[in-house]
Amino acid sequence: MNNIIIGQYVPGTSFLYKMDPRSKLIALFVFMISVFIIKNLLHITILLFAVILILRIGGIQIGRIFKGLKPILFLLSFTFIFQLLFVKGDVEDILVDANVVITSINIFIFIGFFILWRLLRKVVKFRFLLFITFLVGSIIMFINLTPGSPLFNNPYNLVIYKQGLEGAVFIMTRLIVIVTMSTILTLTTKPTDLNLGLEKVLKPLKIVGVSTEIMAMIIAIALRYIPTLLDEANKIMLAQASRGVDFSEGKFKDKIMQIISLLVPMFIISFKRSDELADAMEARNFVPGKRRTRIHLLKWTSVDTILITVSLLTLSGVIVTRILGW
Amino acid sequence: MNIIEIKDLSFSYRKNTPVLKNINLNIKKGEWVSILGHNGSGKSTLSKLIMGLLKANEGEIIVDGIPLTEETLYEVRSKIGIVFQNPDNQFVGVTVEDDIAFGMENLEIDREEMVRRIDLYSKKVSMNEYLKKPPHQLSGGQKQRVAIAGILAMDTDIIIFDEATSMLDPKGRDSIMEQIRELKEDGATIISITHDMKEAVYSDTIVVLKEGEILASGDAMDILNNKEVLNASNLELLLPLKLLHKLDEANINNEEMRDILWQLSLNK
Ligand SMILES: Nc1ncnc2c1ncn2[C@@H]1O[C@H](COP(=O)(O)OP(=O)(O)OP(=O)(O)O)[C@@H](O)[C@H]1O
Ligand SMILES: [Mg+2]
Repeated sequence: MNNIIIGQYVPGTSFLYKMDPRSKLIALFVFMISVFIIKNLLHITILLFAVILILRIGGIQIGRIFKGLKPILFLLSFTFIFQLLFVKGDVEDILVDANVVITSINIFIFIGFFILWRLLRKVVKFRFLLFITFLVGSIIMFINLTPGSPLFNNPYNLVIYKQGLEGAVFIMTRLIVIVTMSTILTLTTKPTDLNLGLEKVLKPLKIVGVSTEIMAMIIAIALRYIPTLLDEANKIMLAQASRGVDFSEGKFKDKIMQIISLLVPMFIISFKRSDELADAMEARNFVPGKRRTRIHLLKWTSVDTILITVSLLTLSGVIVTRILGW
Repeated sequence: MNIIEIKDLSFSYRKNTPVLKNINLNIKKGEWVSILGHNGSGKSTLSKLIMGLLKANEGEIIVDGIPLTEETLYEVRSKIGIVFQNPDNQFVGVTVEDDIAFGMENLEIDREEMVRRIDLYSKKVSMNEYLKKPPHQLSGGQKQRVAIAGILAMDTDIIIFDEATSMLDPKGRDSIMEQIRELKEDGATIISITHDMKEAVYSDTIVVLKEGEILASGDAMDILNNKEVLNASNLELLLPLKLLHKLDEANINNEEMRDILWQLSLNK
């Protein structure tokens, strides 16, 4: 329950807190576009620098951002490794070309030697240690430098291309920047303001017939119910555990059964909840799409104008440099 | 004048299992009515029907002279406020303040007036120090208080409380009762669904439901004194009334003692 960051507002006083949610949302959107059209390492460095600057001036603890990144850690490492290993380029772009079998034998020998050295250091004579060192050394030389050995003729070569490394770094930075930016938004904006801001910012969509009030309302309610539903999931897990379902271990098939034992009650509870909630809203005279007065006011200040300007400048800078082909 | 008239009302969630059967009920303007009944007797269902959240199979509901239909639905709803049984699933706002404001926002009340009423009613339910708190940091009873404040703030002619004080501590319950009495003095009509005899004592009339039918209805003290009716709906006589009945059975006729017990049962 405690490591959940989504929609979690943490009170503070920096300029980010005093800003209008509309400007924050628009700036976030513009930054995201920039993130997706950048193409070279210089741009990435500038972008990362900007993010760090915002974090510093905004007085946000880096630890909180890490918490926000935690849920996507798996996704991050997966895409990183995938890009690194499977993106191919030209022969002259090869950065690393390692024979997997030989490399692993080398690593194995080195680790083994290190452990052996630590273990034997105290009990055997220096002379014997020297002998072992030479022995291991010659084995390594034999393995690595004798092209005729069958070890060399295996198909398992690990090749990393420049393009792969670049792609991996690009994707990582993009994901990290996006998550960091949205975490900054939810950390510094009260859910209420976020809701109101969303409603206003999405207003243009009205032209295409999307009911923005209802959309914003649903997003706000979803945010409001995340902690409650997580709580519920926790309770169900405890209840199932007390009936003998083990969530921590088991084979793949057991895992699937465990997830189902969690999903079915969650589904039923969500359905009942949303039904009752809709009743409660209608009972309090909520009519979808009808005009409502609002308790909260939004205030646009010069800081907001500055942020929007900066984000738009960044975007146009990126676009211009791309057109010029830098 | 009857503010609510219910005529030959029947309802079922599923075919062939009627939940409410042929209900006839009139509620006068400014009256405080308690609805009693065992679990599953149809109390909450009846309140949802009055609110237009469920559609009757048969019969008619007239609120303040307006028959409840698809066309008049929103008009009828704007006259009624309801505090539901489960405080968890009626918390709409992201914070206490937002939740109290929600109904008023829908009624298009001015912002200044909303701020004034939020202050007033959050104090009345002792939640004024929690205005910025999100619901998942509140206890069940605190959520109930917020729900009550949200409904009071809408200032409707009719208010339905569906076991709205079930999670409150005795002091909290007393202060809500006091609140309801004030509302009634201001002319509001109160429908209170409850299992608590001490609460029912305050009301003018009592309606007892049993398996979807009206088992008895009438003056509050008459019903509260009726052992058979209460037994039939899993309810117990109030302790002083129980003592009175015991005195009767034992043929003890001490007028002073009877008087004290009677006063006690009236919460005086
Ligand atoms: N959404 C629903 N779908 C189907 N049946 C329902 C539904 N809600 C209630 N019922 C059934 O209708 C009957 C009356 O329910 P209702 O909630 O009105 O009872 P109640 O008098 O409010 O009980 P309680 O004192 O427990 O609150 C019950 O038998 C219940 O099982
Ligand atoms: Mg009920």
